[in-house]
Amino acid sequence: MAENNFRALASANKGKTYFLLAAMGVLTWLVAYAVLTYFGAGTASTIVPFAVGISLIGVWGSYYGSDKLVLTMTGAKVITREDAPELFNVIEEVVIASGLPMPKVAIVEDSAPNAFATGRNPDHALIAFTTRILEVMDRDELQGVIAHEMSHVANRDTLVSAVAATTAGAIAILSDFLMRMMFFGGGRRGGNQNQNPVALILSLVVLILAPIAALLLKSAISRKREALADATAVSFTRNPAGLRKALEVLAADSTVVRQKSNAVAHIWIESPLDAKSVSKLFSTHPPIQERIATLRAMESLGPQI
Amino acid sequence: MEYIVIGAVILLVLFFIAQYNRLIRLNITVDEAFAQIEVQLKRRADLIPNLVETVKGYAAHEQSTFDAVVTARAKATSATTIADVAAADGALTNALKGLLAVAEAYPDLKASANFLSLQEELSTTENKVSFARQFYNDTVRSLNTAVKTIPTSFFAGFAKVDERDFYEVENPTDRNVPGVKF
Repeated sequence: MAENNFRALASANKGKTYFLLAAMGVLTWLVAYAVLTYFGAGTASTIVPFAVGISLIGVWGSYYGSDKLVLTMTGAKVITREDAPELFNVIEEVVIASGLPMPKVAIVEDSAPNAFATGRNPDHALIAFTTRILEVMDRDELQGVIAHEMSHVANRDTLVSAVAATTAGAIAILSDFLMRMMFFGGGRRGGNQNQNPVALILSLVVLILAPIAALLLKSAISRKREALADATAVSFTRNPAGLRKALEVLAADSTVVRQKSNAVAHIWIESPLDAKSVSKLFSTHPPIQERIATLRAMESLGPQI
Repeated sequence: MEYIVIGAVILLVLFFIAQYNRLIRLNITVDEAFAQIEVQLKRRADLIPNLVETVKGYAAHEQSTFDAVVTARAKATSATTIADVAAADGALTNALKGLLAVAEAYPDLKASANFLSLQEELSTTENKVSFARQFYNDTVRSLNTAVKTIPTSFFAGFAKVDERDFYEVENPTDRNVPGVKF
């Protein structure tokens, strides 16, 4: 089997996600260890669970209610079969191909073509489309987009990004807290008086760099999940050309979704943030030309069964 | 020492249960996937009388085309085994293509609202049939792999789960063109 067919691509992207999630774990452990070295056991044992707790409550609350929360944040309206029978037909086709339950469907009034999926599990999934994407895409392209969104549901990407956001959040809270403590001279109590100065400096460097590293890892995870969703989408439709043409339409269109909020940027099929202002390392999506090239390579393999 | 033995036995039993359940679950998924194909084939069969009537209203003298569709439909609804269902399904798809080709020659027919909505229904149902088929074949693939590979293969006889037939489309070109193009 060629190594760029959808099955190989899907398993490679899954492997990379596990690696990145493990890296997140290592980073958290490293930060906790740095706190221990720099501030001693007393501070570490109160502050680490505190930061993880705050982050957990914040992120998991929004994860659990993700379908409802995203609806309010994006202004999407849930529609029924009568509102768009053709759209529902195409969605039902992909639902049958994926073997997933039928998701809720919503529409966002927006002049930029885009779409997203959310929901804590396949039974609470919601997929949404902007009014513009329904106007500009033909049936094949729309099928590709729907397959990409249903792939996020199938791969449980809301859960994956919640895990990533929790760790990144905890690390951000931790280092923010500790930096303040250092500036206001609260630190360096406890049992660290006879510590090795090299260890102290290393811990400080870890604390300063950790939030950036966590953010980079979070973005990398998001990019891998997008690439995985493209591969899974092809496993549903066996038609890479549909999604490829859809991405070309999105690439050619310069309008972006009006809500430029960072908070929900990662859920859209095409990043709503201006690509030029965000460097590639922090971007939540792989470059669209790269995604098109990958799909084109799959097309050249011919019909796959 | 005895705790270790008891623990090992419990783990082994749990492992057996997991393998057994996996096979049963795969087997049920295949049944469900086949049921989905039948649902979609039935939907398509139900659309046909309506479609034939609509086309007849504009092109009454194309009797041979109508007959071909009606015969294929009768065969498709009476088929039972997977191979028969698959063959009849392929024949009906071809007959429907003939019917739609006839419709091409009648602009009034093509413009009628009734025909347009039937056409949309038919094209989505054709896609659903082919996706249901694809999903069925995927589930059969996982089941057959489990039946043949270690460790699940040890439990296949005990769970009374056997390899299943793929849903083969008779005409290999049909595989490449699942949808009806208009």
